[in-house]
Amino acid sequence: MANKDKDFMESGAKVKIGTSDKIIRGFGYAFITLYAFCCIIPFLIIVSSSFTSEAVIRAEGVQIIPKDISLEAYKMVTKSGGIWKSYALTIIMTLVGTTLGMSIISMTGYALQRKDFHFRNAISFYIYFTSLFSAGLAPYYLLMTQTYHLQDNYLAVLLPLLMSPWLIILMKNFVKAIPHEITESGKIDGAGDMRIFVSLILPMLKPALATIGLFLALGYWNEWYQSSLFLGSKVAVKPLQFTLYEVVNKIDALKNSVAGQFVNIADIPQESVKMANAVLATGPIVLLYPFVQKYFISGITVGAVKG
Amino acid sequence: MKKRKSGLTFWQKIVKDRTLILMCIPAILFFFLFSYMPLPGVYAAFVKFNYRDGIFGSKFIGLDNFKFLVTSGELFNLTKNTILYNLAFILLGNLLAVFVAILLNELRSKMFKKVSQTVLFLPYFISQVLVGLLVFNLLNFDTGFVNSILAGLGRERWQPYSDPGVWPVLLVIIYLWQQTGYNSVVYFASIMGIDGEMMEAAKVDGANGFQRIRYIILPSLKPTIVILLLFALGGIVKGNFGLFYNIVGTNPILYPTTDIIETYVYRASMVSFNFSTASAVGLYQSIIGFVIVMTVNWIVKKIEPDYSLF
Amino acid sequence: MKKKLLAALLTASMVAGLTACGGGSDAPADNSSQADNSAASTDNSTESADNGAASADSSASSGDTASSDDPWANVDTSEHVVITYMTTGDTPSGTKEKYDEMMTQLNAILTEKVNAELDINFISWTDYLSNYNLTLARMDGSVDLVGTASDWLDAWPNAKNGAFLELSEDMLKTYAPKTWESVPAENWELCKYDGEIYLIPEDNYAQWTNHGFIYRLDWAKEAGLTDGVHSWEDLTEYFRYVKTTYPDIIPWDSDGTQQAQMAGGWIASHSNYVPIDGINAGAMWGGTRDDLYTVYCPFMTETDSLVEYAKMMKEWDEIGVWQTDVLNNRSSTNRDDYRVGTVAAEQHHTQTWTDLVSPTPANKIYQDNPNAESGFFYFGEETGNVTALSITHGAMAISAGSANPERALMVYDLLRNDPECYKLFCYGVEGVSYEITADGLRTTPEGYNQDTDNINGTTNFWWGRNDDLEVLDASRDWDKINALYDEYDKIKIEYPYGQFVANVDPIQAQIQNISEIHDSYMKQISYGKYSGTAEDIVAEYQAALTAAGVDDVTAELQRQFDELYK
Repeated sequence: MANKDKDFMESGAKVKIGTSDKIIRGFGYAFITLYAFCCIIPFLIIVSSSFTSEAVIRAEGVQIIPKDISLEAYKMVTKSGGIWKSYALTIIMTLVGTTLGMSIISMTGYALQRKDFHFRNAISFYIYFTSLFSAGLAPYYLLMTQTYHLQDNYLAVLLPLLMSPWLIILMKNFVKAIPHEITESGKIDGAGDMRIFVSLILPMLKPALATIGLFLALGYWNEWYQSSLFLGSKVAVKPLQFTLYEVVNKIDALKNSVAGQFVNIADIPQESVKMANAVLATGPIVLLYPFVQKYFISGITVGAVKG
Repeated sequence: MKKRKSGLTFWQKIVKDRTLILMCIPAILFFFLFSYMPLPGVYAAFVKFNYRDGIFGSKFIGLDNFKFLVTSGELFNLTKNTILYNLAFILLGNLLAVFVAILLNELRSKMFKKVSQTVLFLPYFISQVLVGLLVFNLLNFDTGFVNSILAGLGRERWQPYSDPGVWPVLLVIIYLWQQTGYNSVVYFASIMGIDGEMMEAAKVDGANGFQRIRYIILPSLKPTIVILLLFALGGIVKGNFGLFYNIVGTNPILYPTTDIIETYVYRASMVSFNFSTASAVGLYQSIIGFVIVMTVNWIVKKIEPDYSLF
Repeated sequence: MKKKLLAALLTASMVAGLTACGGGSDAPADNSSQADNSAASTDNSTESADNGAASADSSASSGDTASSDDPWANVDTSEHVVITYMTTGDTPSGTKEKYDEMMTQLNAILTEKVNAELDINFISWTDYLSNYNLTLARMDGSVDLVGTASDWLDAWPNAKNGAFLELSEDMLKTYAPKTWESVPAENWELCKYDGEIYLIPEDNYAQWTNHGFIYRLDWAKEAGLTDGVHSWEDLTEYFRYVKTTYPDIIPWDSDGTQQAQMAGGWIASHSNYVPIDGINAGAMWGGTRDDLYTVYCPFMTETDSLVEYAKMMKEWDEIGVWQTDVLNNRSSTNRDDYRVGTVAAEQHHTQTWTDLVSPTPANKIYQDNPNAESGFFYFGEETGNVTALSITHGAMAISAGSANPERALMVYDLLRNDPECYKLFCYGVEGVSYEITADGLRTTPEGYNQDTDNINGTTNFWWGRNDDLEVLDASRDWDKINALYDEYDKIKIEYPYGQFVANVDPIQAQIQNISEIHDSYMKQISYGKYSGTAEDIVAEYQAALTAAGVDDVTAELQRQFDELYK
């Protein structure tokens, strides 16, 4: 179905390309190219710095093209071997969290947009309200550690990131684009709400699921905050971004605090090590993006399904 | 909507909607456990925290914890900065995201689309600390990239780190640069959801590119835009700490135009840490955000009920 | 079986924590230890059986009744417990293996002597203030020993707000007898608040954390300062010389965060001001050497001096001592640059100088250039105004939520006073992480690798170091260090306000706002980044302080001083 629709659209495009389309495309290519350029340069600098020896960075600053390729920084980062375990942990958390989160969010999003659902406004407000009021750090921390006993437990990182009001409202909005008639037709065929959702709605939600899934995955991949609160020094394997966060922030935090007047830190992380950490921490998720992307480029459109 | 004001009792409604309710149960439970359970803890804003007595056993001291923020004389300026920056971020951020999503959608080269979309996403992955570092390398007076070029051209050097006036523009640019790739995904997915037949019909009818965008794409993005804007409003008093702290740092020359509630409170907490002050500030932000959102949502509901948040 | 007991213990302490929470203020510490005892007794039968076997093994050497040197002969240690010690600092990563080895050996000794083992909870430097206090707030027995400090870790506010356990004399005598004896009575007095002891001071460890500038003595001599730098004016001359003679070198590549130390240093060098610790980072209130108990804020009274300071710092800025955008120069690595000779000065305290002055392998300047020497200009040198460190600069406290405060004290007593434990804990395993030379100095063994083998400085025992047991580091230049220490000893006064624990509750808001004003103005003044004249900026700064209520704070502190000292 998807292919048929795609071909259809492309052949249509080939038939007539108006002047205005040409203008739009010409401008589009120029603008996007320029913008992409601005985005890729800093990234190149980071990658290049991670392959530059510390001495060169000190002497000449960061470069776009490395003067000499040095693996020093990567050796430092991977030395203890802990980083591979961090990878495994982050990947598992991302997979589990994203799958679980996506299922719950899509179910809730569907239910909340059903106009015939009596409690939709109440529940929407119940969920939305949490984005306005939060209890603050101390009550949250004490609840998680004293009542739920989640200190040093990976669940303390996995659970809070499962969903957010924003993602649910986003999903609700995506589902809204699916005509209500589909639900109606399902009902006429005698299907229950769950049946309708799973067999009629879900297949049409691929772009939405890809979006929400991407955001969830990014959330898990980039997570460091819950880890810094709940995964203490007893937990040997920490999520990837937490390690990065520690490496790049430690010195700065110390310098700007009272402790900085007294405490000496022996090993100040080197610039190249920070960069290598950044590359290792972002690399895989950047590579993942093109896979999710195909759902945006050639997403199943509503029209195609309806026909 | 009014037609649904049927004569069903509460229990009948529950029975009728049981599956839909069940579908919401995990989310309801989630928000109960992680958002509502800690909520009574906002009481911490009104006590002098004692470790042994816990939040609820500590001595009630009324509004004393708010005193530091109010008496600083900075509260108005901090709130103003926070709100104005967020407004710029929300409005320009969504504008640019829609713009980029539509442009990308119009392009025909698949390869180009794929590659550029990935590339636009890259800045989102660069940690804020590193962004701060890169910006410093770009802009600093002695060795910065921009100034090296200016000096090479025989021009006068530019000194942004001593000029508070330029930072609102710089910070907005940096924000847009970093977030647009991420933000545009939502709009891109929404465009993908637009009825293909409608687009084709428009083409057959001879609608040109501009007309397609004006009459089909933009109207179908409208609900998404409105809802995302409305949602963002709730957080309008909550500043983007990472962005400001890592880029402006602790340079007091720039504070008049760049200091937001979060950075001010952070600096205070580095000097003397206090749970209650943090709670008080959070509560202040929540209340203002709540008032703003309730007002705007109420107005939106009057005009176009479908676009309201709840 | 150990696991089972641990689980029982944990559950018990959690239950205790919960009841303590719900029960309000009725002595949660007592609660939890009771709950704990009962939980322990359920598992006691198996435990004691195991214990019997162990004591049979060791009875020959240290039979618990016969031996007179077991100070805890009468203490019931039948239950094995884990004592958690909380410290700020990084969890060992590269040195993990050696750290584990050290802990295994240490725990073997601790188990034998007091049937307890130690576990370290590292609070990493990033966000340390909030994570440290949050961990304390749990009060569920998750922490026993707490490293704290009156000048940089809120020791007194935490004690006042119920985070720490009151340590009675009986407790200390019984469970930490060696420590009790070694700390003089007058020092215990300094650890009291409201008549109760809360802190165990690190009072037998020579260290100086007074700030100053570390500089290249060889370059100062070239500059004509044959005798080295001994005043702020000398520094100006030194920096000017370095900048013109070595154009590639940034004299001091500051990261723009030293404003508090510099401003305080200037005041120390130009008056006989003695600051009170722990009120704010700027240490803005105190007395004078001649009149210790009249509180004032020198930043309000020393106007002319501050104007002169502002002018001099503007001059430094114009010379190019630091980068133009120093206030945003966060990625500066000045100290490492100093070690390799690409900068000419570092601003920090004496302890840092003792490192930088010594020809250690890291300090490459001494290998590259045989003439290289490092001097130290300490703030207050001109007026001989140096105050010794407060004995609570590092101190150990027991968490009020601790389930085993007695055993925690026993473990601490061993860590601090038992040579074997102390050396393991501070230096690691002998022959692996360190070695003792014929002269009794500490050096590194053959094949030692700093990245994987070092233990010294990783367990962060800044709350119980003991000069009686310290083994001096052979790589340090002790002649130079001792010469400076002797100089200090001649002019120093002891920290005079040890007994004063300010009650800042009524003036908290003012202090917070004053700190912010001080920080933000002093950054501009200390780095010469103000516009307008020096007179104007100082006047503006003082007006802001006045508006924020600096006089109220001074008056309130004076009132509290009068109560205590008159």
